[in-house]
Parts: sequence; structure tokens; C-alpha cells
Amino acid sequence: MPNSIISIRHLAKRFGQFEAVKDLSLDVHQGDVYGFLGPNGAGKSTTMRCMLSLIRPNHGDIHLFGKDLRSNRASILARVGCLIEKPDFYKFLSAYRNLDLFSNISGKPSSKKEIYEMLEFVGLQGREKDHVGGFSHGMRQRLGIAQTLLHNPDLIVLDEPTTGLDPQGIIDMRNLILRLKTEQHKTIVFSSHNLAEVEILCNRMVIIHQGKSIVEGSVQELLHEQDQVIRIQSDAVHLDAAYSLSQSFPKAIQFKKLGLDGFELTMAKSDIPAFNQAMVAAGIPVYSLETKRKLEDYFINLLQA
Amino acid sequence: MIFLRSTRNELIKIALKPRSYLGLAAITGLVGIILFALKADGLSMISFVTASFEQTLRFEGNLLNGNLVAFIVLQMLIIHIPLLVALVTGDLISGEAAMGTLRLLVSKPISRTQLLLSKFLAGGIYTLLVVLWLGFLAVIVGQWLFGVGDLMVLNSDGLVILQADDVNWRYAGGFCVAFLALLTVSSLSITLSCFSDNSIGPIVSTMAIILLFTIIVTLDVPIFDPIRPYLFTTHMAAWRSFFEDPLPWESIKKSIYILLGHNLLLIGISLFAFHRKDITV
Repeated sequence: MPNSIISIRHLAKRFGQFEAVKDLSLDVHQGDVYGFLGPNGAGKSTTMRCMLSLIRPNHGDIHLFGKDLRSNRASILARVGCLIEKPDFYKFLSAYRNLDLFSNISGKPSSKKEIYEMLEFVGLQGREKDHVGGFSHGMRQRLGIAQTLLHNPDLIVLDEPTTGLDPQGIIDMRNLILRLKTEQHKTIVFSSHNLAEVEILCNRMVIIHQGKSIVEGSVQELLHEQDQVIRIQSDAVHLDAAYSLSQSFPKAIQFKKLGLDGFELTMAKSDIPAFNQAMVAAGIPVYSLETKRKLEDYFINLLQA
Repeated sequence: MIFLRSTRNELIKIALKPRSYLGLAAITGLVGIILFALKADGLSMISFVTASFEQTLRFEGNLLNGNLVAFIVLQMLIIHIPLLVALVTGDLISGEAAMGTLRLLVSKPISRTQLLLSKFLAGGIYTLLVVLWLGFLAVIVGQWLFGVGDLMVLNSDGLVILQADDVNWRYAGGFCVAFLALLTVSSLSITLSCFSDNSIGPIVSTMAIILLFTIIVTLDVPIFDPIRPYLFTTHMAAWRSFFEDPLPWESIKKSIYILLGHNLLLIGISLFAFHRKDITV
């Protein structure tokens, strides 16, 4: 049985008449990179905020590191680092001073040397004394990560950490999460709107919709059950021929035209090379063939269901 | 330990926030103007006041001295200082909420009680600095510019003349009570700050409450008689009691108890509200 880092049971939170979270239960194990997926307003952020004691749940139990959050708040939060939505800091203070202030109340105050090293780790060397008010969103996000990691937490909670970042920033953030997972064996919980991101980074996930957990488990196991969706760009003349050809593959279903010269098809992964070969042999031009992300389909199907 | 570190954090934030110096700069400017005006035309003002007593009394010596100047400065400014205090203390919680830093603070292993009390303490220290600065400008600079002499105070019972060597301790006591009154303003604005997510709301609300209570205190309407003695604004001018002879100790003690009671009540309300506050912004 894996060591449980987060255990949530029957969590419920209501804001007035609106039920943000309804009877949600989940488990995060040591070393997991655990994804929170769900549309806007699904209850992801509320759940994360409950885990950090920012919000008081109306019902349910939250255990972190095997301890009840309500009665062991200080000792638990000393082992948690978090970045919730936007990385907000005191704009009138320097990057160094901001980290120093948050470090002072983190349970393990960091030395000046440690703060400078952390700023270097996130690529903010040379900007230590600059006021945060002059930082770009990407730089603030880096500072947010520095703040999250400074006291060497065992559990890292990241709420939509790539929102607002440029493509390079997104890649850097993903690489950082992978490094934390593989090199430091941290347990990471993060929410994202980007399904591909969750598929790439997470080993386990929960899909939350309307405050409820729809499905929870291993990403690999959940997606393995799915057939592959492929998108092929051909030309308008050959679309009917391609449809006829696909019918010779027993697991090929849901043939759907995409515009005038392309189509989408669900089929077994193992049939894709043979289908491609058959199309070429039949003189059907294949200008591109791409697999649609599995999780995207899985997510949409679940929500539609 | 974490409480002391948090208090240090709060003081650093106050010290490095430009807004904190607005109050001190405003006091310096206002006191400077009053001192200049008194230096330039103070004697005619004094003559206007003493004229009505000159048939029965003879005034000798330096009437426009530092002690009188300090009293005039305090009388004129003590009404405006609450705004300058609220400008900083009203921002201590709601400003963090508006900036988004409150969620980071609350997700740290410091308890909400410790976090809030450290803000109250830092707010109190800032208020003390404001009072000390006002005291320095009014009493020390006033005495330096106008010299020392007997203090002549006109109150509801008539004219009180206090010997020069009998004045300094009265100022010390008066400033202590004035500090307690301003501390109540600080506590009120921090309490209101717990209910708001923008920094302007608590500052405006604090001033609105002071204005409302001051009107109730000033209005001679019997229906307000039962509550009037318990409003903190009734006791904001209690510092003046130190310049009466004999000293009305009972009245001063009552004011101190009521102001302390207000502070405790406001801290209690804030703790209750802050503990129940969901940090959603």
C-alpha cells in the first residue's frame, strides 16, 4: 500500500447557495505527480484551498502526511509549498525581501545565502534587489516557484502554474516539475486546464466536474482503456474512399469529416500503421496523420456523459 | 517565535511602504504651518483670548511659550491624526487581500491568531511612532522655538494656569491617553480591514464611524444619552483632562478603561471574523 500524503474524504464546501465541492474524496501517494483536471468552476481551486486551510470546508476530513489538517495545521503546512493561481508579491519590496518575509513564517527560516541560491535556481540571479513591481508575469512566476521551494517542502501544491506564461516559460515550468519529481522525489499536486500537460507530467489524476470527482486513478490505466483518435489530412476527392477503406478495420469507428479535405477516426492503436499503409496503397494521399491527445477525448467524453 | 518574526515582517512592510510616510509628512507639514503662524502672529491671538480676563487679571511674562504652542498644536491636530493612522492600519489585512499576498500568508504555518495579533502589534507600534513624532514636533520643537513658560489653558470651568515645571508630566500623561485613543482607531480600522478585500473601504469606513460617533457625542439629543459615555469618540479628547487642576483621575481612569475595552472588543471581533474568513481572492 503506497504511503498516502493527502487523503481527502467527503469534502464539501458551499458558498451561499452554490455548492463548490460536493462529497469529494481522493488520495495522493508519496512521489505522485497528481493532476487536478476540470472545467472552470469545477471545484479544483476550492479543493486546493481547503488543503491549504485557506478555506474552511463545510464537511469532510483532510489528512496530510497522515495527520488531520484541523488539529495539526502548523506542522503540516511547514512541509507544504504552494503557488496558488497568480504569483502575487509585495510590489514595493525587492525579490530578496519578499522571499525573506515569507521564509520568516514558513517554519524554517532561510539564510541570505539560501535565498540567493534559490533565486539563482529559478533564473532570477542579478535581480535580487529589484522591486517586484517591475517584474514581468514570467519573472513573478519564477519568484513564486522560488517561494514555494525555499523551505524544501515535501508536498508542492501548484494551482494552474503555467497560466499566463509564454511558450518558453511553460516548457521551463514543465521541466521544473519533472526535475522535482525525478531528482528530488517530491509529491506534487497541480491543477491545469491544459490536458496535454497533465498527460505528460502526471502519473495519477482526478477529474472534477461540478464539485464532484468523476474519476480518479492512474493516468496510464485510465487512458489505456481508450482507443486512439487520429486526424488525417488528405484531399476532398478521396474522402469517401478513405471512409470505405476504414470500414475494413473492425475497430475503426466514429468516422467524421473535418472540413473539405480531412477526417477524424477512432481506431485501435495497433491498426494505425496498417491503415496508413492501406491508404497509400489505395492511392489516397496522406498529407498528415496525427493522433489526437487521448486525455482530451477522455475528458470530453466524461463530461458529456 | 513565529509571532515575533511575523511582527518583524509587518514592521518591515510598514517601514518600506511609501504610504506610511504620508502620515508623518502630513504631521510635519501641518505642525510646521501652525508653528509658523504662531511665530508670525501668535501674540495677537493670545491677546484676543486674554482680553476678556484683563479687567480682573494681569498677565506677565512669556504667555506664547512652547507649552501653550504644544497645547494649541495638539488641540488642532488630534482630530486629523486618526485619518493618518487609518491610512496605514486600515490597509494591513485588506491591502494584503487586494494584493493577493494574504493567501500566501495564510497558507504558511503561522496561525491566523498569531498573524492577526502581529498585525495589531505592528499597527500599534506605528500609531505610537505617529504620536511620538507629533509629541516631538509639538512639545520639543515648540519649546525650542518659543521657550518654556507657564501654561494657560481655557476650559469649560474657566482659565487654568499651570506652572512651567508642572507641565511636562501632564504632556506625558496626555500623550499616553491620546495614544490609547488612536490605538482604538487603529484597532477599529484593522477590524474593518478583516471584512474587506480592498484597501480603501476600511479607511473610509473608519473615518465614517468616527464622524458618526462624533456627531452623536456632539448632538445634545437625550435619546443618545445612554450610549454617549460608551462611545470611544467621547474619550478621544480625554488627554485634555491632564491639563485640569485638580486632575480628574476618576474621569481619566474611566476613559482609559473604556478605550482599553474597545480595543479588546475590536481585537476579539477581528479574531472571530478572520478565523472564519475564506481566502478566495
